[in-house]
Amino acid sequence: MANNISPHSSSYRDPSGFIFFKDGIYYRQINKIYQEHFDHFISSGCYKNLVEKGLLLSHADQTDNLTGDADRYKTIKPEQLSYISYPYEWGFDMLKDAALLTLQLTKESISFGLILKDATPYNIQWHNGKLIFIDTLSFEKYNEAEPWIAYRQFCESFLAPLLLMHYSKNSLPQILLACPDGIPLAITSSLLPKRSRFSLHTYLHIHLHTSIVNKKNRQPEKKIVFSKQKMLNLISSLETLIIKLKLPPQQTAWSEYYEEAMQRNDYVSQKKEIIEQWVSQLNDVKTAIDLGANEGEFSRILSSKDIQTIATDADPYCINKLYNEIKTKNEKIQPLVVDLANPSPSIGVLNKERDSFLQRTKTDLALALALVHHLAIGRNIPFEKIFELFASVANHIIVEFVPKSDSKVQLMLQNKKDIYTNYTEEIFEKEMSLFFIISQKQKITGTDRILYLGKRLQSP
Amino acid sequence: MISHILLYIDPGSGSYLVQVIIAGALGIAFFFRNIKNSIKAFFTRSSKKTNETDSMPDGK
Repeated sequence: MANNISPHSSSYRDPSGFIFFKDGIYYRQINKIYQEHFDHFISSGCYKNLVEKGLLLSHADQTDNLTGDADRYKTIKPEQLSYISYPYEWGFDMLKDAALLTLQLTKESISFGLILKDATPYNIQWHNGKLIFIDTLSFEKYNEAEPWIAYRQFCESFLAPLLLMHYSKNSLPQILLACPDGIPLAITSSLLPKRSRFSLHTYLHIHLHTSIVNKKNRQPEKKIVFSKQKMLNLISSLETLIIKLKLPPQQTAWSEYYEEAMQRNDYVSQKKEIIEQWVSQLNDVKTAIDLGANEGEFSRILSSKDIQTIATDADPYCINKLYNEIKTKNEKIQPLVVDLANPSPSIGVLNKERDSFLQRTKTDLALALALVHHLAIGRNIPFEKIFELFASVANHIIVEFVPKSDSKVQLMLQNKKDIYTNYTEEIFEKEMSLFFIISQKQKITGTDRILYLGKRLQSP
Repeated sequence: MISHILLYIDPGSGSYLVQVIIAGALGIAFFFRNIKNSIKAFFTRSSKKTNETDSMPDGK
């Protein structure tokens, strides 16, 4: 490229254009090959309609050819996203809503003579408290005689994981890490229980779909005749099916954590008070991460102060509950399922297509409340590694130390050999000091638990 | 004419033939569903009317 600008490492699949980064801003170049479709997308009013309905990320036109590329037709500057998350970090209902959004967009675009040419959850992001479609180049002129090119992709990347979670009654977003481009139909069909065949829509879109695709010696496809009504029936069938899918809430170790914690004197309210006070002392906190957020009680304190907050927990049910509570309220919280002992790795082509959780996550403040004992005793991770993890995601930290004398830690040690000789307040502070300057230390009255406020020693 | 997207997506990936078969099956299913719904709507409407009449204020 003339100006030494290369496309974003995840933007290589579609020759219609690509995303690139210049002077701290993400732009999208539209290539000449896509000109006809893009012009129709704008002139038909489809773009305006989708943006007004809040379904599509808006953009501004950029007149200069920033890449100097001869293939360029236009350059646009999309509204900038504050964080990128991936479907393997989403709760069940977030993936379900993303699937419904994709179908809604398909229907809307059909009414403007366009259709989605791909259907992948990577085209959807959580932005300003709601799901939004981000790929402006996914729309293509609709030919009524042709079926939906993205149909199989939709079945594999949305329908398959949702059905597997629905029928197994288990949340397993990480299955998309093993199959980032969707779970192959044959695998889905064999994993689903027999009774799923009695659901008409599941039978058609998964089981019948699999058997036809797998048929050997298939005749070369004849001239296929399709129609708009058939297309609408197909979309409506997918919608009917997905709306019915649900993941029943489960009693996990973490559900009702707060209700139980609240009963311990005024433990939670004291903690809230201290945190509010410390956060107000810190200047310039715009972004934060709540590590081990549970159902997001403390994330909400941060978001209420206009801080963009990422709420992570390894328990998908807690995150799903949080998502359902905030999705109608436009709260500045991004709910993510992340196991801190194994955060999402970087994956895809050259391992650069989707960045790892730690590469993506750089915030001003991290909350790690009632978390360290789960990592140190529950997962045998030394303090040093835990603080290295905290230092890699935030400049400031508010961390809680729960000593061995605490009943919760005693409970954890009940059926375990106590090999944790280093689990002391003194070593905790020593290891914390390797990465952070401790500026505040406060005991929570009525408990042995201690809160610390720290500032990172240097930028990593 | 092959649309340009087919140049980078395997045409089979659209599962074209499947869609024709599934859309056919859905056509029949939705045809009956619509009949069922209109019958249902007919009776709901008439029972609603009855309810409305029942609950009409008649000076207590």
